[in-house]
Amino acid sequence: MEATMVFRSKWFLPLFSLALGLAFGGALWAGGEGRAGVEAVTLMTVVGLVFLVGGRSEMIRGLRGDGRDEYWQRLDVHATALAGHVVIAAILVMCMWEWGHGRDGSPFVQLGAVAGVAYIVALGLLRWRS
Amino acid sequence: MEVSRQTINAIETERYTPSLPLALALARYFDSTVEEVFDGGNDGVQK
Repeated sequence: MEATMVFRSKWFLPLFSLALGLAFGGALWAGGEGRAGVEAVTLMTVVGLVFLVGGRSEMIRGLRGDGRDEYWQRLDVHATALAGHVVIAAILVMCMWEWGHGRDGSPFVQLGAVAGVAYIVALGLLRWRS
Repeated sequence: MEVSRQTINAIETERYTPSLPLALALARYFDSTVEEVFDGGNDGVQK
């Protein structure tokens, strides 16, 4: 039994940011928004560069994974859960907003349903695996 | 022992309870027991 540190290459997050930027740019370009596409690629490239060259910061190393140990993993799980709660709260508020204005609540109803089902499935899978 | 400076700081300031493997590794590092490192030799008994 050993205390382990999770190592992920420092290149993962910068390259992921770049790939995401290219995907966003491609989608916007395909939709006829070429200028917005270039802006998306530029923004995500800058974000990727910040992750790549910001290795002196423990925060950056923790975010990108090459400095992530069990404490950072716990922070990551809690931060993910908090972000999920914020998104679900926003979805619920938007559902009520849409209903209150006489609309059917799309797409927030569907997003809320996906969130609820995903949570139950994830809980079941984790319970089954543990 | 591959943990960050922030993790050690969080343990020292009691903001983070380490996993059992890390607690054992820390105790081994200090040539001590888990009880002595984390409970001041109190044996975990609250009176």
